[in-house]
Amino acid sequence: MISATLARRATPAALPLAVRLRLELATVAGNVAAFASRLANKGSGASIRGQVLTRIEPQAFSLLVRGRRIVAVSGTNGKTTTTHLLAAAIRAGLGGESGRMVTNADGANLHYGIASALSQARRADIAVLETDERVVSDMIAHGRPEILVLLNFSRDQLDRHHEIKALGRSWRIALERAGEAGPTVIANADDPLVVWAAGTAAHVIWVNTATLWNADAALCPACGTVLRRVNQSDGDNGTWDCPGCELTQPPASYVVGDGSIRLPDGSIVTPELQVPGSFNVSNAACALAAAIEFGVDPSVAVMGMRTVTAPAGRFASATFAGTTVRLLLAKNPAGWAEALPLAASDPVILAIDSVAADGKDVSWLWDVEYEQLAGRTVIATGPRAQDLAVRLSYAGVEHVAVPDLREAISAAGGAPRRSGSPPGAIDLIATYTPFQKLLKLAGLR
Amino acid sequence: MSRPVEIVLVYQSLLGIYGDRGNAMVLLKRLEWRGIDATLTIVEPGEPLPATGSVYLLGGGEDAAQISAVRELKADGNLFRGLENGAALFAVCAGYQICGQTFTVGERDEVIEGLGLLDVTTRRGTERAVGEILTRWQRPDGSETLITGFENHGGFTYLGQGATPLAQVELGIGNADDGTEGAVQGRVIGTYPHGPVLARNAALADHVLEVALERTLEPLPRPEVDELHRQRVAFVRRQGLRA
Ligand SMILES: [Zn+2]
Repeated sequence: MISATLARRATPAALPLAVRLRLELATVAGNVAAFASRLANKGSGASIRGQVLTRIEPQAFSLLVRGRRIVAVSGTNGKTTTTHLLAAAIRAGLGGESGRMVTNADGANLHYGIASALSQARRADIAVLETDERVVSDMIAHGRPEILVLLNFSRDQLDRHHEIKALGRSWRIALERAGEAGPTVIANADDPLVVWAAGTAAHVIWVNTATLWNADAALCPACGTVLRRVNQSDGDNGTWDCPGCELTQPPASYVVGDGSIRLPDGSIVTPELQVPGSFNVSNAACALAAAIEFGVDPSVAVMGMRTVTAPAGRFASATFAGTTVRLLLAKNPAGWAEALPLAASDPVILAIDSVAADGKDVSWLWDVEYEQLAGRTVIATGPRAQDLAVRLSYAGVEHVAVPDLREAISAAGGAPRRSGSPPGAIDLIATYTPFQKLLKLAGLR
Repeated sequence: MSRPVEIVLVYQSLLGIYGDRGNAMVLLKRLEWRGIDATLTIVEPGEPLPATGSVYLLGGGEDAAQISAVRELKADGNLFRGLENGAALFAVCAGYQICGQTFTVGERDEVIEGLGLLDVTTRRGTERAVGEILTRWQRPDGSETLITGFENHGGFTYLGQGATPLAQVELGIGNADDGTEGAVQGRVIGTYPHGPVLARNAALADHVLEVALERTLEPLPRPEVDELHRQRVAFVRRQGLRA
C-alpha cells in the first residue's frame, strides 16, 4: 500500500503550445546529439544533450523542473551516493508505480545535466535530483522542491570557488525568499555552515550525522567568531557552539551512531548497505529522513537502499588487462579522509589530475593524511603523479610514480602482494577526471 | 645539547586552506633529513603561540579568517616576541597580506590594519589572480633560481620603502601585476604562491631555514623534488607561450 503522501500526484505544468513545441523540438535535437556522442564513444551524452536542449530552449531547466514533486540533494561530498540511496528508497516505496520517478543517476548535476535527465521522462511526476551547490538557489526558485537535503560543506576546487561561505549565503537567500512555501530541508546538524545556510528555511529536520567537525568550519559563518566544542567526553565528540552569537548545533531528530540510525520515534535502524564506509551510513541517514518525509515506510526505504551497489561507478570493480581494481572517488580533502581508510590493498593506486574538474591547484595534497599509508606501497599515477610522489616522500611512504593510468594498473597487478595484504581487488582512489577516464575504459559509463 | 629547532604553524584552521601546512612539513623534514633536531608546534586560535619558535608560518585563508587571525595574533603577542628573538616568518597569500600595514576585505573593501611586519599594503586588484606563477628569485649569493607555485588572490599588494620584492615575475600576476612578487623585510618573507611553495621549491625552503638558523646548510639532493620543480617550470612556460 502506498501512503497518501507518496500517492499524491503533481499537477503537470501547463505550458503555452508554442513553448511546448519548442521544448519537444529541443528534446529531439538533444537526443540526436546524445546519440551521436555515444556513437563517437564520448560517454553517455547527458551533458551534450543538456547543452543542445538549452541552446534551443534557454528556459529548459526551469520549464522541465516545473510541475513535478522534487526532492533535491546537495552538498560537497556524498551527493551522488545519497541521491542513489534516496531514489532507491522512493522507488521501493512506489512499488509498481516506480515509473513515476526520474533521477539523474549519472551524477550530471548542473542545469544541463538536470534538464537532460528530466527531458527523458516528461511524464514522471516525481524527480529525485542531485543538485550542484551552485544550482541549489535556482532549484529552490524554479523547481520549488518539496524536500531539499543539505549534506555538508567543505573546501573543493578553490581555484573556482574562492569562498565556500558565499554559496551558503546564496542558499540562505533562496530559502528566505521561498518562505513558508519553501522545501522541508533535511540538514546535517554537525556542519556549522549547513546549519547557518538552512537557518532561513521555514521547515528543517536536523540529522546528527556523527561526522567530525571538519577543518573547514573553524569560524562561525554568522559572526566570524572561532567556534568551540562543548560537552565533550570519552567517546562523545560533543557539539559545536558559537561563543559570539546564538548559532549553535541544533538538537537532531535523526541520530547516527555505531553504524545505526536512530529515528525520531526512538527506533533504531541498521542500514546494512552494500556501499562501504561510515560516511555512507551518514548519507543513508539523510536519505532515510528524506524518504520518510516523502511518505515512504522506514523499513521499505531501508530495503530499497540496500539494493544500491555502485552509484555512478563509485566502489565499482573493473578489470584492466587481467588486473582487477576497485574504483574509489575522492574529490577533495574531506573525500580523501573518507576514502583512504577504505583502501586496504597493498599496493594501492592513487590517481591525481588537475584539470578544471579536479581543481587546478593540487596544494590540497598536503591536507590529506597520506602518512596513514606508511608500510604499504603506493603507485602514484595521473598527470600530477610527481606532486603526489613528493608529498609521499615527505610523508615517509614508499612509492613509485607511473603517470600513465593503464601502466600504473598493470604495474600494480604485477607487484608482489605483501603477506597480510587482503586478497581481492587492488584499491584505486582517483580524483574526478581519472575516475571518469577509468569508468570509460572499463565500459562502465 | 642545543634545543631543537621549533617550526610553528600558526592557526591552521584559519590560515591553512590551501595545503599550507605542507610548508611546515617540508621545513621539518628537511631539518630531520640533515640530522638536525626539530619539532613542529601547531597552534590553533585560542591557544598561546610559543615565543621560542625559529620559524613561524602563516598560510592562506578567507576574509573573515584574516580579521580573526590579526586580532588573535595581536592579543597573543608572542609572534612579535619570537621575531624580536631572531626567528624568521614565512607568510603565504592571506598570511602575507595580514603581515602588511593594511589590507581590505569584503564587498565594501573595508580597510583592516595588519600586523605591520612588512611595509606593504593590499587593496582589491583589478582582477583575481588565479593560476600557475613562475618567478625569478635572486638568492643571497647573487645566483638566480626559478620559483614555481599556484597563485590565487583577489588583493594586489604594493610595497613601501621598507620592503623589497622577493622575486621578479616571469609568468603570472604576483604582487600587483607590476613585475614583482612577494616582499622581504629583515627575517620576514611574504609571498603569494601556494603549491605548497616550499614543497615545489627546495632552494627557497632551505633559504628560510638558513635565515632562521643564521648558517649555511649542507646540500640535500632529492632528485624527486627537483623533478617536480622541473615539471612545473616546463608546464607553466608551455602554458605561458600558448596564452
Ligand atoms: Zn557566531
